[in-house]
Amino acid sequence: MAQRVVLRRFLAPVLFRKLPRCRWGPLPPEVLAQGSSGRPAAALCLARTFSTTKISKVTFNVQDGPDFQDRVVNSDTPVVVDFHAQWCGPCKILGPRLEKMVAKQEGKVLMAKVDIDDNTDLAIEYEVSAVPTVLAIKNGDVVDKFVGIKDEDQLEAFLKKLIGC
Amino acid sequence: MVAPAVALAAASAASRRSWRRLFRWRAPGSRAPCRPVCTARGLPGGNEYDLLVIGGGSGGLACAKEAADFGKKVAIMDYVVPSPRGTSWGLGGTCVNVGCIPKKLMHQAALLGGALEDAHHYGWDVAPSAPHNWQQMATAVQNHIKSLNWGHRVQLQERNVKYFNIHGSFVDDHTVRGFTKAGKETLVTADHIVLATGGRPRYPEDVEGAKEYGITSDDLFWLKKSPGKTLVVGASYVSLECAGFLTGFGLDTTVMMRSIPLRGFDQQMALLVTDYMESHGTKFLKYCTMRKLEKFEDQRLQVTWHNHEVGREETGVFDTVMWAVGRVPETRHLNLEKVGVTLHPDSQKILVSASEATSVAHIYAIGDITEGRPELTPTAIMAGKLLARRLFGHSAELMDYDNVATTVFTPLEYGCVGLSEEEAERRYGQEGIEVYHAYYKPLEFTVTERDSSQCYIKMVCLRGEDQRILGLHFLGPNAGEVIQGFALGIKCGATYSQMKKTVGIHPTSAEEVTKLWITKRSGLPATVTGC
Repeated sequence: MAQRVVLRRFLAPVLFRKLPRCRWGPLPPEVLAQGSSGRPAAALCLARTFSTTKISKVTFNVQDGPDFQDRVVNSDTPVVVDFHAQWCGPCKILGPRLEKMVAKQEGKVLMAKVDIDDNTDLAIEYEVSAVPTVLAIKNGDVVDKFVGIKDEDQLEAFLKKLIGC
Repeated sequence: MVAPAVALAAASAASRRSWRRLFRWRAPGSRAPCRPVCTARGLPGGNEYDLLVIGGGSGGLACAKEAADFGKKVAIMDYVVPSPRGTSWGLGGTCVNVGCIPKKLMHQAALLGGALEDAHHYGWDVAPSAPHNWQQMATAVQNHIKSLNWGHRVQLQERNVKYFNIHGSFVDDHTVRGFTKAGKETLVTADHIVLATGGRPRYPEDVEGAKEYGITSDDLFWLKKSPGKTLVVGASYVSLECAGFLTGFGLDTTVMMRSIPLRGFDQQMALLVTDYMESHGTKFLKYCTMRKLEKFEDQRLQVTWHNHEVGREETGVFDTVMWAVGRVPETRHLNLEKVGVTLHPDSQKILVSASEATSVAHIYAIGDITEGRPELTPTAIMAGKLLARRLFGHSAELMDYDNVATTVFTPLEYGCVGLSEEEAERRYGQEGIEVYHAYYKPLEFTVTERDSSQCYIKMVCLRGEDQRILGLHFLGPNAGEVIQGFALGIKCGATYSQMKKTVGIHPTSAEEVTKLWITKRSGLPATVTGC
């Protein structure tokens, strides 16, 4: 597990130079076995030159506290964290919109999605009260935040500020 | 790009740090978990918390938050033991998760079905009957409940109440031990402890297959698929309310009753409630008791019961059997014998004084777990708040359990406040009371040609002088909304004379209360005719 962590952190900067939209060959079994976040296989990206590489995606679902620590707090790349809930209507609007704007940033920022019902303690820890709440995390610190829906321009500005500073 | 060897080393170090952090990981800002060493036990000031509340339902949450508002150090434990079917839920207790909230939402869903049937009378071009999608409704209801679970967590956080999702039991009278789902032990000590663990549905002990094949209200609201053809066993409001909305969804629904419906409620009103249900599609098996439940290969249930009226055994086939035969208090797992909290020998509920005190000086109890109290959310909430104010706010105000209004949300709703006619007779004698009553027809029922035979109001008053109102009973649409306002009047000692002076709002069903004039004693027919 530690080896996979190391490999992912090492290769992340390399992989993210490529655009996330891609149609590649079948995924190696070890990638499928990783069980990352339940996203459909088509959304996963493989760098063609690294056919046996473990992959990181621009957007991922946080599984639990240690996963958050690992992929968000310890991330070298800034991360926007989307705290959302199944029962939250506005979250269903903001989520895809934010994903789209994050994808446009070409890997300079990652997006972590936290379902607050599955990760209640984590959400409480980060003082989330209403959803959707989006935190901007850089080097383990919360540097920015907003609550509620934003339009694409506002999201772009939010992300650019995070990447820039 | 950084030289691979250096990057690898850096990454290894980072990964080792993150592993260490993994094991030491603790929420920033949270308190350190309790060490398994008791601080000075039993000594006020030596305990970790001023107040520990066991049970995160209506009463427990209200008490904890109120105490925290006084600046006290408060902790609350909440834990849901999964039902035999495996159903579980989040913070908020019975009302939020498997009681009032989902019940009222499903009742509303069923009423909308009825509204669709009425709509074309009022000019709407809609089909009078539309199929009901259980999954769609259940998802919406469950999502709302989850938002409430979350809301409660946030409120605890904001009011600085420490939350433990653990199953607590007494170690000694100031120490409670609990285990997380993962099996981790936590000890909590407190000066004052409030027990508010509520109750759970009872399974019959003498019916073969009861637990294996039957469900309860704990499961009904969380079913992913429609329960289908359902038998609801019991004559409680839980039974009638659930059977009522299931019928409203178009499901083949039967209620099995051993004897009288709604024991403890005014019986004349209770019979009108079941009459309405019977004439609107709910089947009733009266004077029947369950014998056994068996399952067929196709997952349907074979039910065998004894019909006391005809004196023989009968059988039927159902998709779902739901037990609504009463509730048991959650006192068994608290280890109350260890600390000497006395229970009622029959009900096993906790015996409390007027100030919610148990037999142990600093241990209190509120809500469904207490003997002799109404099993209602608002009374638990108010009792919890008043208790906190007495403990920490220098208040002496006790909870008043008299004249608590309530409503049974059956298809035709029954709202009441004060005494039933039987209870009033018991206290004052038939000669000591005057009962005013009337049948009425809600205006909305006229155009739609709905049957209003059971729309009825009864006001029980003291006889003579001003005729203080002892009890008010209303059967009709929106009964809860109607009765709430009158509850204030009765709390203030309203009399029949004052009611006569109250001008009604027209056109409403509630105004019929202000227009009551026919007494039972007069023998006149109680039918109201027009404006």
